[in-house]
Amino acid sequence: MKMTVLALLAAAEAIALRQAAEASPIQHVLVQMPLLVLAGVLISWDMRGRRVWAVPLLLTALTAFLFWMLPRSVDWALTPAGETAKYLSLPLLLGVPLRLSWPWLAPVLRGFLKANALSMLGVLGFLYTHAPLRICNSYLVSAQQDLGFAFLQLAVVLACIWAVPVLFGHPRWLPSGSAGCSKCGA
Amino acid sequence: MSTVSENYVPGHAAAAPQAGAVKLTMVLSGAVFALMMVFGLLMRAAQGQWIDLDAALFYQLLTAHGAGMVGTAALSGAAIMWYFCGRHLVLSGGIFWAFLGLFLLGVVLILGAIFIGGYGGAWTFLFPLPALSGGAWEAGAAAAFMLGYTAIGVGFLLYYLELGRRIHARYGSLVRALGWNLILGREDNDPPPPAIVAAAAVTIFNSIGIILGAAVLVASLVHLLVPGFEVDALLAKNLIYFFGHVFINASIYMAVTAVYEILPEYTGKPWKSNRLFAIAWNAVLIFVMAVYWHHLLQDVVMPPWMLVVGQLVSYFSGIPLIAVTAFSTFLYVRGSKMTWDLASSLLVLSVAGWSVGSVPASIDGMISVNKVMHNTMWVPGHFHTYLLLGEVAMAFGFMAWLVRGKTISQMDGLDRAAFVTYLAGAAGFVTVFLFSGAASIPRRWAVHYEEWLAHDRIGTLFGGLVVLGTLVFVLRFAARLGRREG
Repeated sequence: MKMTVLALLAAAEAIALRQAAEASPIQHVLVQMPLLVLAGVLISWDMRGRRVWAVPLLLTALTAFLFWMLPRSVDWALTPAGETAKYLSLPLLLGVPLRLSWPWLAPVLRGFLKANALSMLGVLGFLYTHAPLRICNSYLVSAQQDLGFAFLQLAVVLACIWAVPVLFGHPRWLPSGSAGCSKCGA
Repeated sequence: MSTVSENYVPGHAAAAPQAGAVKLTMVLSGAVFALMMVFGLLMRAAQGQWIDLDAALFYQLLTAHGAGMVGTAALSGAAIMWYFCGRHLVLSGGIFWAFLGLFLLGVVLILGAIFIGGYGGAWTFLFPLPALSGGAWEAGAAAAFMLGYTAIGVGFLLYYLELGRRIHARYGSLVRALGWNLILGREDNDPPPPAIVAAAAVTIFNSIGIILGAAVLVASLVHLLVPGFEVDALLAKNLIYFFGHVFINASIYMAVTAVYEILPEYTGKPWKSNRLFAIAWNAVLIFVMAVYWHHLLQDVVMPPWMLVVGQLVSYFSGIPLIAVTAFSTFLYVRGSKMTWDLASSLLVLSVAGWSVGSVPASIDGMISVNKVMHNTMWVPGHFHTYLLLGEVAMAFGFMAWLVRGKTISQMDGLDRAAFVTYLAGAAGFVTVFLFSGAASIPRRWAVHYEEWLAHDRIGTLFGGLVVLGTLVFVLRFAARLGRREG
């Protein structure tokens, strides 16, 4: 119940950011979209996924992720049809499948996905800060460059968050990150 | 003659984890080392005008030699570290096979890019050279080269993720595996052995290098496919040299685990981690990442403080190596009455060669020297010293040990001849490079002036000796692989 309320809060916050998302690509790509994914993760928090579904679910999540990484998709997400697709697909095709598949993934695969996420954030930072043209027609070049730097900052923050438990040991107050999840059966 | 059991009682089960996979990797490494050395010999002979080599082919060979040697040094180093970490950790064989498969896929792509696509932009793929070939190669060839690197990088990432998670599972955290309990004077009932300390450090810095390398590789790929997407050239150069410097250094730091694990069999004294050893490896972890700026001393647009740090860390980075590994090797060997067979001789030589190689590196790391020396033969002189006489000697020493059996005997005539030939050839080869650098002969030139030919020809002769010695080492290893231990 608590997770459902939190999921609804995340979704409501994402919808409330509608105007801000139109004004700033950072608010759009790095706040509103992750909130929608978070809503999907939280709504499925207590669901049990089956091991045989892990790979198809992961592929679904990655496909949705790749689609919404494209600058053209970011532009489209500001149109009425694109907005509806965004509000539905990010929680249901990215957040939920990611949550249900994650506990079943091998630790090396999880580490690979995290490392790849850092590299791709670096690539996006590279491209958005130095692109000679407007990649998203809906935003200014200066806003696009801000987004590029935000990608780089996010890469650094995520690297620290993921590296600290590995370097210094898993904090006792956190649930185990690698031994699966009893609630979801892994 | 002696046996292992006479003078050494290992503190752990000296098992042979995934020995088949490791032996196959070492056979492949030895074969590629020999082939790449032949490429190098061809280039030196062409510079000396003893053979006629088309300039385009020269740069293709230069690219293959650079990428092949760096890749094979890393491959052999990875196999060595995997083998010895397997004595202390339970490692997944599937990951090693995936690593090897991805590596071989990368090799196929790289060789195809070079010898079918004509790519000759050097192993450093510096932006924007891969995209500006002047008609020498198509963008597709450069893209295939970078995809080859990407495949190899993914393989290494899987390797380090597996190693890192097993170290984490065994020791609870990477800092404990780095020996922080030893450094801080805390009690530790299960201190990490030297191979694990080295593995923890390499896992950290090479993972960071690979992640940053993947970012610049993909950005360069996007630029190749969509030329409108520019990449910031200075940032790209920083990332490429961070990745490249860390990667090639990691190959030596992985291979040195052979010294820590094998030499005690000969000296009878186990090589244990202590406070100084742990401090040195933690310093290596920082220095290896902070020193790469010494590759950019001629980039005047770099912030001056970075160049100063590059110079200072160049001085400091030799200290942990020389103070701990080289000095410890000297102490272990001194008075131990060890038997000098091919394995022990090559391993001790490798530590000496690695240490000596750091001297010309530190000299070139001085800004005032670098201004005139960086684009000369001095630079191949220094890195050939710590590769030919360092990492490659470690790999050959490990290979000799793998097929040695339980009995330790003095070198026979062929082994001694091969060792002396390799040592004389390598020492002469790198000395000629350093002399050529001091004489301001530029590096990476396919065609040399008459005045430089004597250097090139003497270098070619010494290079021939290196190839001869290498062929004996590799063929000897392959021939003894199937032999039963005795």
